[in-house]
Amino acid sequence: MNAVVLIDTLLLLLVTATAVAIVEVRSLYASSILTGIYSLLMALVWVNMHSMDVSFTEAAVGGGISTILLIGTLVHVGREEKPIKKRLHVPALVFTALTGAALIYGTLDMPRFGDPAAPIHHYRVPEMMAQTVGFVNGTPGKQKPPEGFDLERYRRFDGRVTGPIPADPTDTAWREKSILQTEGLIVPQVRAAHEPHAEPGHHLHPPDDFNGHVPNSVTSLLAAYRGYDTMFETTVIFTAGVSLILLLRRPRREGYLQPGAVMSDQVILRVVTKLSIPFILIFGFYVITHGELGPGGGFQGGVVLATAFILYALIFGRAALYRVVPPPVSDMLTGLGVLIYSGTGAVCMLLGGKFLDYSMLNPELPGDGESLGMTLVEYGVGITVSMVMLTIFNQLAEERST
Amino acid sequence: MTGALGIYNYWIYVLLMMIGLYGVIAKPNLIKQAIALGLFQTGIFLYYISMAVIDGGTAPVWTTILDGAQKYEGPYDNPLPHVLILTAIVVSVSVLAVALALIINIKRTYGTIEYDELEAMDQADKRADYQRGQVVDAADDVEHRLEGHHHA
Repeated sequence: MNAVVLIDTLLLLLVTATAVAIVEVRSLYASSILTGIYSLLMALVWVNMHSMDVSFTEAAVGGGISTILLIGTLVHVGREEKPIKKRLHVPALVFTALTGAALIYGTLDMPRFGDPAAPIHHYRVPEMMAQTVGFVNGTPGKQKPPEGFDLERYRRFDGRVTGPIPADPTDTAWREKSILQTEGLIVPQVRAAHEPHAEPGHHLHPPDDFNGHVPNSVTSLLAAYRGYDTMFETTVIFTAGVSLILLLRRPRREGYLQPGAVMSDQVILRVVTKLSIPFILIFGFYVITHGELGPGGGFQGGVVLATAFILYALIFGRAALYRVVPPPVSDMLTGLGVLIYSGTGAVCMLLGGKFLDYSMLNPELPGDGESLGMTLVEYGVGITVSMVMLTIFNQLAEERST
Repeated sequence: MTGALGIYNYWIYVLLMMIGLYGVIAKPNLIKQAIALGLFQTGIFLYYISMAVIDGGTAPVWTTILDGAQKYEGPYDNPLPHVLILTAIVVSVSVLAVALALIINIKRTYGTIEYDELEAMDQADKRADYQRGQVVDAADDVEHRLEGHHHA
């Protein structure tokens, strides 16, 4: 038994126990706090399974925002569940037991945990992992090969690979394997005009290959391979913000400002909050900007940014927050994020490419263009996510006079 | 990993989903139902992320590029499930927020968020309507039921 499986086994037992407690504990307040614990345990599970981005998101969203939202709601609806006479709901138990048995029967066919032969590790993975742009491998891609492009020479990495190469030019897995196995990163000189370039912190890379710029393949998948999907996920979040405004915002004539509870008379809370907010903001921007280099990105960074504002509102009151970010401003920024995302796509179209074809942003060095485009859309996602989280918090905390 | 431990993660995913499902069905409190729905979602997240793991793999960040001195020749875990789930987590908090907003509105309208009490109030309303001899319009009735019941 290796370490991953051992830690996984123990953590998941804890997670399951927490889940049972969340459902069965009678106090809704306890249930909400347990939800935060559950999310932090889940974040550990994700780290153990090497999905750093998911873990980051879970810690920020589940451990941070969700718990605050739940507690904010309990202020309105009361913190105790009504006592139930029968603790065990027999029909529900029978139903879930039968469904669970059917699902477990289904899992018997699943590939074993971590099995390298599992289909998921083969189907389409080479294309996804070898996130390349332009004319790579001579496949009909986003751009035409330049004049005098020698496919054979390119695939042999300037003659450094002497053995047989696969006949199929779309075999990108072979190309990546060669890159990984050969000493020193291979730089095919396909365009005389553009020397391969390296920056501090980066390796030498071919000018059309953005793996040199986007080492985190989760981000390259998120923003390029599944760019449309991510754009509409952002729209879903935007819609949630709009829904909250429609459902809970008071009429404008009643005014936004409501002092509510303020904790700024507590010296320790006040000082610690004012000290930590700049660092939270810097960290949020760091996470958004470095999404393509390491774990993080617009979703995580946006949530981190929102927590800075929410912390400020918790300590100094929402009236103080509204002086910093008035509701009309946060409403506009919510839409601006989606606009930046789709606008980046539209600019790529205007430059002659396809929608969200970031390489068009810098046709000379498509790898740089991809990197730039991804940073732009990550900022769009970050702005929308942070402002929607802020709007959700504000609306849930708002009291209606009627 | 072979044997029973090889599908241990998938059993836990089923267990988490079923705990969530049990909560949604068995608990009359709407907040509890919203939380249980979240448990159901994390079960699915676990299923996806478990599939992405590969023996001896590591996080899908290209370490060779960041650190040229040390070669890592793979394998990497599959990044695609990670992408799907990280967006799904943010969407799940949006779902939770909209559910909570609806619950607050229900509380303001009905004064309770216990499903069985809401049901009883709706039934009493309808009985009173019939006793007064009012004909309940079918479309009106559907709308009424939607307002009261359908937010689980």
